[in-house]
Amino acid sequence: MGLEALQHLLEHVRPAVLFYLGPVPIYTTVVNTWIVMIILFLVAFFISRRLSTIPRGIQNLLEMVADFFNDLLEDNMGKEGRKYLPLVGTLFIFILFLNLSWFIPEMKPPTTDLSTTVGFAVVTIILVELIGIKKKGLGGYIKHFFQPTPALFVLNVIEELVKPVSLSLRLFANMFGEKTVVAALLLMFPLFLPIPVMALGVIMGIIQALVFSLLTVVYIATFIHGH
Amino acid sequence: MNGLAYVGAALAVCLAALGSGIGQGIATRGAMEGIARQPEASGDIRTTLILALAFMEALTLFSFVISILLWTKI
Repeated sequence: MGLEALQHLLEHVRPAVLFYLGPVPIYTTVVNTWIVMIILFLVAFFISRRLSTIPRGIQNLLEMVADFFNDLLEDNMGKEGRKYLPLVGTLFIFILFLNLSWFIPEMKPPTTDLSTTVGFAVVTIILVELIGIKKKGLGGYIKHFFQPTPALFVLNVIEELVKPVSLSLRLFANMFGEKTVVAALLLMFPLFLPIPVMALGVIMGIIQALVFSLLTVVYIATFIHGH
Repeated sequence: MNGLAYVGAALAVCLAALGSGIGQGIATRGAMEGIARQPEASGDIRTTLILALAFMEALTLFSFVISILLWTKI
């Protein structure tokens, strides 16, 4: 493969501009996110019209997910953890559906774009910090940076600042790496070679959604329980 | 000059994957011994194992991002 093949691969993996909304260019990433949002909304709407006390089908699946996260929150935080279920559950379901959007034809998952994952990570970390401030008060929050010894102040601040970076980069690099490998294999041998890598990518997508929400639970728990 | 940059991009991912592979193997060994010793705790152990594997994978992927940066600058 020469240099021009590498350039061709690069065009495959970068998002393209679809149309302009005023002065703002709308990339394929944003349109894909809208499509997944509409699908999620329709699924939730049609399930909630026929709720029954004995769950069947998709309602069963969603109740399993809700139970799993309720148990996780209670294990880490005690009874009051249940009120954080909307945040954690939404993160899990949304990122799961975004990572699984390989199955819709002509679509690449929006999480392969750094903008989506940085958006997720920054919003989550700001929410976690606000939960910490509400739990401990502003003075307690600033004091927790000095907690084991005041000499560790810089390290604690750096740890807080690295959290959104590591969250976003973990999700982005997993999905982008899988997409690049599949694109490179597609250039070599079109129909059959990418299939095992795509299966691995689906599994990794599910695991990454789980890890994102799991880490959010752990970060909230360190604020509520202290170090 | 460009040849050395290619070598750098390849070497970054190789060394990171080596370290992460060894680390994840040791973590999985500990998890399997724990499950073999006490099968009732397997749910907890499985969740912790997945979390730990994702942490180690993230370190490899940081270096993959560096390698991509090197590759697209050439």
